[in-house]
Amino acid sequence: MKEIDELNLPGDIYYSKEHEWAAKEGDIIRIGISDYAQDQLGDIVFVELPETGSSFERDEEFGTLESVKAVSEIYLPVSGEIVAVNSELEDAPELLNEDPYANWIVEVRPTDIDQYDELLSKDDYVAMLKG
Amino acid sequence: MTEAKQLKTTALHSSHLTHDANMAEFGGYDMPLWYPSGTKAEHLAVISRAGLFDTSHMAVLTLEGRGAFELLQHSYTRDLLHCQGKSNTPLSEGSSVYGLFLRSDGTVLDDAIIGQLGAERYMIVVNSSMGAAVSAHLRELSEGGVTITDYTDELGKIDLQGPASARILHSLLSDPEQVLADMGYFTFKGDIFPGGSTALRLKDGTSVVLSRTGYTGEFGFELFAEKADILHLWDTLLGAGEPYGLLPCGLAARDSLRAGAMLPLSHQDIGDWLFGHTPWSFVLPWDQKGDGWTKTFIGGEQLLQGKRDYTYGFAGYDPRKITISSSSEVQDGHGTPIGIILTCTTDMAIGRVGEHIFSIATAISKGRPDSFQARGLSCGFVRVGRPCEPGEKVLLVEGKRKLTVEIRKNIRPDRTARAPMARMRNR
Repeated sequence: MKEIDELNLPGDIYYSKEHEWAAKEGDIIRIGISDYAQDQLGDIVFVELPETGSSFERDEEFGTLESVKAVSEIYLPVSGEIVAVNSELEDAPELLNEDPYANWIVEVRPTDIDQYDELLSKDDYVAMLKG
Repeated sequence: MTEAKQLKTTALHSSHLTHDANMAEFGGYDMPLWYPSGTKAEHLAVISRAGLFDTSHMAVLTLEGRGAFELLQHSYTRDLLHCQGKSNTPLSEGSSVYGLFLRSDGTVLDDAIIGQLGAERYMIVVNSSMGAAVSAHLRELSEGGVTITDYTDELGKIDLQGPASARILHSLLSDPEQVLADMGYFTFKGDIFPGGSTALRLKDGTSVVLSRTGYTGEFGFELFAEKADILHLWDTLLGAGEPYGLLPCGLAARDSLRAGAMLPLSHQDIGDWLFGHTPWSFVLPWDQKGDGWTKTFIGGEQLLQGKRDYTYGFAGYDPRKITISSSSEVQDGHGTPIGIILTCTTDMAIGRVGEHIFSIATAISKGRPDSFQARGLSCGFVRVGRPCEPGEKVLLVEGKRKLTVEIRKNIRPDRTARAPMARMRNR
């Protein structure tokens, strides 16, 4: 397992307490899982994605990731409507292990953009991981 | 925060850390869950090439002295006079057998592989942290005259599993022909215990017990050696296996491999409840009529009289699993709860074409489509209150998550555990 200082945590995106990342692209927010999450899960073998057009509240479960050992829920860090899902992950879930940032999971049109700024910066996230 | 537990470590612990294994607690030990290559690659390596497992957490006992045979006849579920091969011959020197130690109420204390070292001399391999409990159980039942010794902390164990295992061992043995040629499933060679006379040494002098057993469903060996020799043995095996694509493997792959092979995990699939109607009924000493025992043994009467529930293997339709919790359950097709989930994992080497399950090991000539890609299937065991037929669909439920799975007699097809040695040496 990676030490905290070995994790790849880009400084230009935000993080959630549940180990998702969020990146603003115009008026859309891309969501994925952090390097910490993929490292903890181990090999991801299945990704359950939501329907495009469905809406979720902040911190609501929007899908699941499966490693060989466990099922893990993924939570939406901002309320909004799913405008796109990365369907490449359905055939190649291991992409999340290979590069959890290039391989986003969903794109969300947020209902309240202020929620984005309430997420954790890289420094806040690292501080949380260090407990 | 939970209080830090003092975990035991194996002789390979620092090697696991050096090789960046993801470590976790199992059975009181700090053990590797997976190495950097990942669980999926490790699982597939054992099916198609070979994998190496540190299993030094398993407990190893010896039982010897006049009365050892009688004590096992009284305490172990296998009838040692009728347990070997298709013709049910007596256990003999150099052979081993899988069975259970039951408590007097018919519940399972632990499962065990017992090997006969000599007349009234046995080695007993039980689960992690169970050495003391099984020793105490045997002492309690003993009428004296036997010696029970727990060698767990003095020994280590390494499992070499997968179709390339014999070819990997070949280069390490001074006389591979003599050692391997006649080695059938559930036989072993070597005796590293005090008083043993039949040493098996590798070319480099390491004394081992080499046993053709394992916990993956695939062809392979378990090697027991003195703790001081284990790190060297591990590195030697890894080196010899490199040309064959051998990977060090963690407990996650061990768990998914054994589940796909329909092998139970003690204290999870069998345990503190009456041993029921299970895929492992062969461990009981059934008489010819099939309604009683060939011997009397601890717990036997309770099994015949008690209400025994039903344990079945299952396989799903994709890799999705259910998290086992206090609220997870098994439901029939009408949504009626019928039991609980014991194990739920993913066998990454199998997949379905229609209803049919193929393995990456299935030969094209046996029907595996050329284009077959194993996406993995969830699999494991359920314990239910009524009989189910193979092929019956049941639901695994946890919270709002529901998965349809199929009750199966077999999960991963085309396993190699019992394959003829000659075929595996020449592949």
